[in-house]
Amino acid sequence: MAQNLVTKLYRISVIGAARNKPYVVPSVKAVTYSTSTQQDSGAVKNSDAVKSVFISQSNDIFTNLALEDWLYKNFNFINHHILLLWRNSPAVVIGRHQNPWLEVNTSVLSEHGIEIARRNSGGGTVYHDNGNLNLTFFTPREHYNRKNNLQLINRALIREWGLKTEISPREDIVISGGYKQISGTAAKLGRPNAYHHCTLLVSVDKEKLKHALHKHHKGIKTNATQSIPSPVMNLCDVNSHVTVEKLLSTIGWEYLRTCPYTAEDRGKDFIMKQRGFQFINPTDQWFPGLDKLRAELTSWDWRFGKSPKFNVTRTFQVPQELLGKEELRNEELSITIDVNKGMVEDVMLMVPPGLKAANGFSGQAQVVTSLKGQRFSEEAVTILQKALSELESPEQTRNEFVVDCVRTSILALEDEKSN
Amino acid sequence: MVSLTRLPRVLLRRKFLCRHVATHKVKPALSISNEVQNTFKFADLSVQLASPDQLQPKPEVADLQFGKYFTDHMLKILYHESLGGWQRPEIIPFENIVLHPAAKVLHYATELFEGMKAYRGVDGKIRIFRPEMNMERMNQTALRAGLPTFDGANLIKCLCRLISIDQEWVPHSESSSLYIRPTLIGIDPTLGVAACASAMLYTILCPVGAYFSGAGESAVSLLADPQFTRAWPGGCGDKKMGSNYAPTIHVQREALGQGLQQVLWLYGEDHLITEVGTMNIFMFCINESGEKELVTPPLDGLILPGITRASILQLSREWNEFRVSERSIPMAELVSLLSENRLLELFGAGTACVVSPIASISYKGEKLLIPTVEQKYPIYAKFRRTLTDIQYGHVSHPWAVTVDV
Repeated sequence: MAQNLVTKLYRISVIGAARNKPYVVPSVKAVTYSTSTQQDSGAVKNSDAVKSVFISQSNDIFTNLALEDWLYKNFNFINHHILLLWRNSPAVVIGRHQNPWLEVNTSVLSEHGIEIARRNSGGGTVYHDNGNLNLTFFTPREHYNRKNNLQLINRALIREWGLKTEISPREDIVISGGYKQISGTAAKLGRPNAYHHCTLLVSVDKEKLKHALHKHHKGIKTNATQSIPSPVMNLCDVNSHVTVEKLLSTIGWEYLRTCPYTAEDRGKDFIMKQRGFQFINPTDQWFPGLDKLRAELTSWDWRFGKSPKFNVTRTFQVPQELLGKEELRNEELSITIDVNKGMVEDVMLMVPPGLKAANGFSGQAQVVTSLKGQRFSEEAVTILQKALSELESPEQTRNEFVVDCVRTSILALEDEKSN
Repeated sequence: MVSLTRLPRVLLRRKFLCRHVATHKVKPALSISNEVQNTFKFADLSVQLASPDQLQPKPEVADLQFGKYFTDHMLKILYHESLGGWQRPEIIPFENIVLHPAAKVLHYATELFEGMKAYRGVDGKIRIFRPEMNMERMNQTALRAGLPTFDGANLIKCLCRLISIDQEWVPHSESSSLYIRPTLIGIDPTLGVAACASAMLYTILCPVGAYFSGAGESAVSLLADPQFTRAWPGGCGDKKMGSNYAPTIHVQREALGQGLQQVLWLYGEDHLITEVGTMNIFMFCINESGEKELVTPPLDGLILPGITRASILQLSREWNEFRVSERSIPMAELVSLLSENRLLELFGAGTACVVSPIASISYKGEKLLIPTVEQKYPIYAKFRRTLTDIQYGHVSHPWAVTVDV
C-alpha cells in the first residue's frame, strides 16, 4: 500500500535539458523549502524579491558583454534582481545602431591595442578602461526603472563621500553645478528580462579617451545613431578618495539595502535578507553557451558589419608633380564609396583630366572592381594595391597616390590636404 | 504547508520505512523527543554578508575537486549549557575557527559530521536530496557522542538560506553540485571525558564540478584484508563520527601501496563484507532459487545507515523486479557465487558519487575479478540514472526539494 502511494507521488515530467538552451521552468509544482519570514508560509511573495551583486572576474570587454548577454537570455529574474559590476581593459564600445568608422579613430585604436566592441543596447559610444566601473541592473521587464537605479547611485556617492550629483534630462549622472558627465547610460528591454547599464568614470585616462573618440570630418553620410559628445569628468578629480574598488563596494551595499521596486532606502537590516556579493568566473564551463556568445561579439560581421548603410565621400588635391602639364592646378580626385553591412557595395571614382592624361592613371576600372564586395577595411586597400601593381602602366607614383586616397577614405584618417 | 512537529513526523517516517526494513535491529533512540525542547530556530537566524574584499575568486570548473574549494559563507550555531543551550544561528563570511587548547574535540574526538548535496537542476533551481534523513542521522550520532541534539527542520531551513546565498558557486552546466558538510564539535575548554556543555555546529559548502561528481566512472579495485576492522558490535561504526575515519587512513594507504584503490572492510571470523571505503556495499547476484537478488548488509550496528543505501533499497522494492535482502554476506559466499558465475555486480553506494562499480578484490593473495561493468544492463547504472534524474530535476519527485529563498 505504501508502495502504491510512493508510485503515485512519482510523477514524471521531462524537461528539455540540452546545453546552450535557456532553462525552461517546469510546469510541475515540486515540493519547496520556503524560508520566507512568515513562519510556515508556502510560496515566496512578490514583495520578497532578493538581490545579488555579481562581480565579474574578467577584464575582457567581449567576455563581459557575453556574460551580460548570457544573463539577459538565460537567467530567471523573477524574485531575484541582479546588479552586475564589471571593469574592462581599454576598449571602445559603440551602440547597437552605430557606425564604428564614424564614431572612432580606428588608427589610434590599433596603435594602442584598444579593442572596438559593439554592445547589444542602443545609445552612443563610450571609452572603457580600468578606471571605469560598469554597472548592469537586471530585472524582469515590468520592474525596469532607470531613474531608480540612478538615484541609488547618487545616494551611494553621498553616503560614502558626501558627493552631490544630479540626473540630467538625458538621464546621465552629472556633478552638481558643473554639468560634467561622470556616466553614460543605455538599456535593453525584452521579454521577460530587461537591463539598464551605465558606466561611472572614476579614474579614466582622459587623454586616451579624447584621442580614441576624437571625431573629425570623415565625409560619412549615414543615419546611424550619432554620439553626442559631452565634457566628462573623473570622480577622483572631485574627491581623491574615490577608487574603483571602493565604489564597487559602496554601490553594491547601497543596491542591497534599496527596495527592489522603488528607490526607497530600507536600511542596513534589509541587507540581511539579500544574497550579497558573488564573484563570477565567466567561462563556458560555468555558463554553458558563453563561448558562442563571445565568438559572435568578436566577429567582424557583428562589430563592423552591423552598421547601417552609409557612404563616404572624400576629395583629395592631386599633388602638382603627378599632373602632366604646368597649367593644370588645383585638380581634385574624389571618391565615393557606398557601404552596406560593412561591405563595399559601390565605388565612384572621379579622376581629374590632368591625372588621366597620356601615361597617366588608367586603373579606374580596377579600383571599382577590386573594392566592390570587399570588407570596408585595410584588407580592401591591400587588394586594390595588388590589383593596381599588376597594371602595365609604369606610373606607379600615380597608382600609389590613388591607393593612398582610398586608404584615407576607408580608414577615416585625418588628411590635412583634404577639406 | 502543514507543519508537523518533530515527533509525529519521526514516528510516521518510521512506520513508512519499517515496512521495508526487514531486520531493523537498531533500537530507535528514545530520548530524542526530550532533547527537541532545546533547539535553535531558523527565525532567529542572522546574516552577515561578505563584502567584496572577503570573497574568494572562483577557479576553473575543471579545478573543482571534491573538498578543495569552499564557498564564501558558513553557518555557525553555538551551544552553551550555561547560557540555556542553543544560541542564535548565524551566517557569516567564511572564517577560521578559534579553539581553546583543551577543547574536547581536540582530545577525545567529540565530533560528528554529515554529508549531503545540493544539485543545480536542469531548470536552474537548486534542489537538496532527502535532507531529513541526514538530520535524523545527525541527531542519533549526537546522542552517542555526548553532543547536544536539535530540531532538524530548523537546521534544514538555515542550510537552505546558506545554499541560496552561495548558490553561484554551482556552475550552470549540468551535473554540478554543492557538497554540504554540517559538523558538530565539542568545544568545552576542560579536559575530562564527559558530555559536552559547549558545542559548535557549523556548516561549510564545497562546489563540485561535473568532472568530479562521477568519481565512480571507472570500476575500482579493492583490498580485502581481514586483519583490519572498521566497526564492531557494541561500537559506533553505525554513527557518522570523525573518530571512525582517522584509523582508516592508514589502511587506505596500504591499499594504494599495493596498487589498489579502496578498502573492502571485513568483519569477524566469517569475513563478512561490511562497507567499501566510505560507502555502503551492494551485491547483485543469481541466488540458489535461480532468481536475481540484490543484497546488502543489514543495519546491525556495524553499518553506517547511508541515505543512498536507503534510497536504493526503496527504489528496488518499488520496482519489484528482483528480490531485495538485507543480510550478512560472508566472503566465502562471494567467492562461491563468483566461481559459479552467479555473481553479477558489486558496487558501493554513497553521496559523493552515487554508485561506484567494483572491478576486483584482492583477498588472501588472490585477485577476484568481478564482472560488474561487463553486464549488459547493469543495475548499478540504473540506480545511478534514476537517482541523478531525481536529483537534477529531470523528473519531479518528493525526495528532491527545491531551495526557494
